[in-house]
Amino acid sequence: MTSSAPAVRSPQLAVRARAVAGRAAAILVLAVGAVWLAVNLFHAPTQFFQSAVYGLRNGVLYALIALGYTLVYGIIELINFAHGDLFMLGTLFSAFTLTGLGLTVSSPKGWLGFVLVLVLAMIFCASINVTIEFLAYRRLRRAPKLAPLITAVGMSFILQFVGLRWNGSTPRLWPSVLPAGHFQIGGVNIDYNILVVITVTAGLLALMTWIVTSTRTGKAMRATAQDQDAARLMGINVNRIISFTFAMGGALAGAAGILYQQTVGTTRYNAGFQLGLIAFTAAVLGGIGNLAGAVLGGVLIGVIQGLNDGLPYAFGQEWSQSVVFAILIMLMVFKPTGLLGQNIGEKV
Amino acid sequence: MSAETLTQTATPAALLAEEITVRFGGLVAVDSVSFTIPEQGIVSLIGPNGAGKTTFFNALTGLYKVAHGRVLLGGRNVTGLSPSKIASLGIARTFQNIRLFGLMTAEENVKVAMHSRLKAGIVRTVLRTPRQRREERAAHDEALELLDFVGIGKTADEYARNLSYGDQRRLEVARALALQPRVLLLDEPTAGMNPRESAVFVDFVHRVRDEKRVSVLLIEHDMSVVMRVSERITVLDRGTKIAEGSADDVKADPRVIEAYLGKSGEEVGDDE
Amino acid sequence: MSFAEPLPRESKPRGRMRRRLRFTWPLFFAALAIGAFIFYYVLTLGYLDPAVNDFVQQWFPLVSINEALVWVMAALGLNIVVGYAGLLDLGFVAFWAIGGYVAGWLMSGFFDKAHVNVLGNPAPFIVGGIHINFWLVVIAGAAVCAFFGVLIGAPTLRLRSDYLALVTLGFGEIIPQVFHNGDDVGGLNISNGTKGISPIDPVKSLSISQQGVTFKSLGPFDHLSRYLIFVVLTILIVFMSLRLREGRLGRAWLAIREDELAASAMGVPLMRTKLAAYGIGAVAGGVAGVAFAAHVSGVLPDRFQFSISITLLAMVVLGGMGNVWGVMLGALVLAWFNSTGLPQLGDTFNSTFGTSINFPSYSFLFFGGTLVLMMLFRREGFLPESRTRLVLREPERTDMEALGSDIEEQAPELDGMRIGGKSGDDEGARL
Repeated sequence: MTSSAPAVRSPQLAVRARAVAGRAAAILVLAVGAVWLAVNLFHAPTQFFQSAVYGLRNGVLYALIALGYTLVYGIIELINFAHGDLFMLGTLFSAFTLTGLGLTVSSPKGWLGFVLVLVLAMIFCASINVTIEFLAYRRLRRAPKLAPLITAVGMSFILQFVGLRWNGSTPRLWPSVLPAGHFQIGGVNIDYNILVVITVTAGLLALMTWIVTSTRTGKAMRATAQDQDAARLMGINVNRIISFTFAMGGALAGAAGILYQQTVGTTRYNAGFQLGLIAFTAAVLGGIGNLAGAVLGGVLIGVIQGLNDGLPYAFGQEWSQSVVFAILIMLMVFKPTGLLGQNIGEKV
Repeated sequence: MSAETLTQTATPAALLAEEITVRFGGLVAVDSVSFTIPEQGIVSLIGPNGAGKTTFFNALTGLYKVAHGRVLLGGRNVTGLSPSKIASLGIARTFQNIRLFGLMTAEENVKVAMHSRLKAGIVRTVLRTPRQRREERAAHDEALELLDFVGIGKTADEYARNLSYGDQRRLEVARALALQPRVLLLDEPTAGMNPRESAVFVDFVHRVRDEKRVSVLLIEHDMSVVMRVSERITVLDRGTKIAEGSADDVKADPRVIEAYLGKSGEEVGDDE
Repeated sequence: MSFAEPLPRESKPRGRMRRRLRFTWPLFFAALAIGAFIFYYVLTLGYLDPAVNDFVQQWFPLVSINEALVWVMAALGLNIVVGYAGLLDLGFVAFWAIGGYVAGWLMSGFFDKAHVNVLGNPAPFIVGGIHINFWLVVIAGAAVCAFFGVLIGAPTLRLRSDYLALVTLGFGEIIPQVFHNGDDVGGLNISNGTKGISPIDPVKSLSISQQGVTFKSLGPFDHLSRYLIFVVLTILIVFMSLRLREGRLGRAWLAIREDELAASAMGVPLMRTKLAAYGIGAVAGGVAGVAFAAHVSGVLPDRFQFSISITLLAMVVLGGMGNVWGVMLGALVLAWFNSTGLPQLGDTFNSTFGTSINFPSYSFLFFGGTLVLMMLFRREGFLPESRTRLVLREPERTDMEALGSDIEEQAPELDGMRIGGKSGDDEGARL
């Protein structure tokens, strides 16, 4: 093995060649993507922007879910597989509560109910997330990495079971209290509910950013994320901070749940699994652990997916999932740190 | 300083590190350090905490990327190769905080390091061909021999995690030797040993060098060990080489004293 | 703690005792396999009481045992990846699906333009298509899966373990979708879309019945013959798993699972070794896929869901990661429970208490709960490897070690610092 390697070829050259090849491939992929966008934009501009708008709405929801993944991953390095299913429970909760309150049409009363249920859904999902952390993940914090990961997968199944019992095995359509209808800009329809989604999300993001950057708890969160042991030595109650992080992620998932249910209308027990995977891809795309990255990634994935589903020259909706996962895999190969993630370097 | 002359006159180098630089982001952990391990020599690397000794080790063994400079192993450039490739080419190491395969027996631990020398592939292993069996038997004998050599032959069937601390250190050396290396890097091998054990260890290092014909590089904190075992000492401080030479040279070097004790430490140095 | 003081030693079986333990499980499973064969053979002869017959048909039909054997094959493949090499794969269903479609392509009339027959056995009234002998298709399925295992592994195995889990999951979602949408890939029909490929050629094999031993095309009810085939395939995979475990590659996998960094510093090439685990695991998954296609005489894309990957993982975890016999037991029990046990228990429960609970709908809860409870309370599985029994029960690192090593890991410039060790000042003074 040793002797067969030609002595002339310097190893650095081989390493560099591999890096160049990798970069070339990445550029090629991006170029193909750009050409694809340009062709479609030229061919069907209205359709292009229309698809992009729908993609943006989904993307904003992905961003909310992705934040939950990124928050948890940032603090305990766990891919919380159950997070998507938590979102699903959020959709069910808001559907059942709003309908249960008799709020099925768009009216001032309905809008008030929406705000109320938004808060309730956030509390609901936050408490579930905190409970899961307390019951399962907390005991496994120092266990080999495989253990919490498998536990999270198990939790995902348990939550899906709850959804299955609650909602039944088939998708159900629910009424919306948000104003229906749309207005037009240059031939592109913009639904009113998209504006609601974006407004609520922007508000929540601002709130979350404020908590993370400007409060004592936020500071403790960042410290815990960097080094749990050191944080503990500094007198930070690490368990409490981790619980808080799960609560925050859960609350965002709850908000995403009601927004999804109110704009998309249907939901079913395994909706969270697929959306969760997409959202996780978004978190990775942005750079896992990075909050701004999760939002950017979510919006990007949403728009890409929207374009793929809606454009004339595209794979189409039945390949939606594959497109997203292909992006994920390519990302892992070319840039595992994501768009905004910093290079942590291998631990030695 | 006699550093330059030493490099010139020494016997052909088993390992030659040229201007090694390692960066972590903006931080330069090792700054342009050149270093030679003569064939079958025993040399030491010392320096205060945070001097970059282990980082340098990791750069030599390929665990860290070398930003600048190159590592020549017996004249062959191994810079940038994967750690496993570098190991199989002849740089073996032990770890500062023991990293044995805890759930494998001592014998298995040693055999893992023979991986690159053994040839049996998937098919031959599944079919258990005569050749594979011969190879396994030879590996078994060699592993036991190595364990005997480091003095823990009786523990061959024990799980590594159940060995005593001292035996674990020995097992790490046996495992490293199973690579049949040209150069053996020992990262603080006497950490946690008492003076008597350290003294025994000094003899052991000599024996390893003589019988296994390897060159040895030590990172050591125990100065009595360093002074007795090394033919040459290199001192690192904050990522740069500040002194090199025989034990006496280094001991007397004011920069070394300063590095260890700080500016005010000169008084202590005077006392000695 | 003084270093000279030896740590408490675990007692472990030695010599003859250990050898006897080594043969306990193989013998147990061999006896089980042979016993089952004789039992079902006698049952087909009809000598037994009809009540016994009814009971067996209800609780232990041979079909569900055959299906369980398919699960065993796939679980053993996953065990090589997860149990041996410590890589979490959440998309193992992909290999099952690929194996299934290889069987679909090579053993049916699907490609009706082609007229290929290599020792094949086309079903009656099938014109055209590719008909290749079942055993050759097993090999082909294994080879194709190994290829895909390496293909997906090569770019991804250098990732951190949790990312790897995610990428494999993505892979496990893409492959079935490709088959699902595969009736129109640029105008080509490669998978027949949602309809799947059916029927698949019957396997020609030994058949044992009242008429004696014959060699014939197996019909849909020749379960006993298929049982024999599946047992042979299972034995091959078990054999492969055990042999590999004891050789050079098995040691390297174990070393990587224990400490990747140290393994690479000891000359174990990480990528190649992990790829080998991936490829070989995929081989077993592919064999299972082909076997399953023969079992149900067809492939349907919508069967290949994420839940299969999870069920396989649950089997590996429940039985005891890394231990072939444990995984086998786990797979047999869970597969039986899933296909027969749960509905039967449900029926019994409902008829006894006059309830109408839909028990199979609880399988989500059951499998999820199994994973969670096992991880919390018995991480090593019910039948662990002797070596894993030690560790998985206790924390990976003590607080102190974690503290020390983390400091070293995260700040390489702090090298030489040891918690509880000598401080730099000591040496300075001695110098």
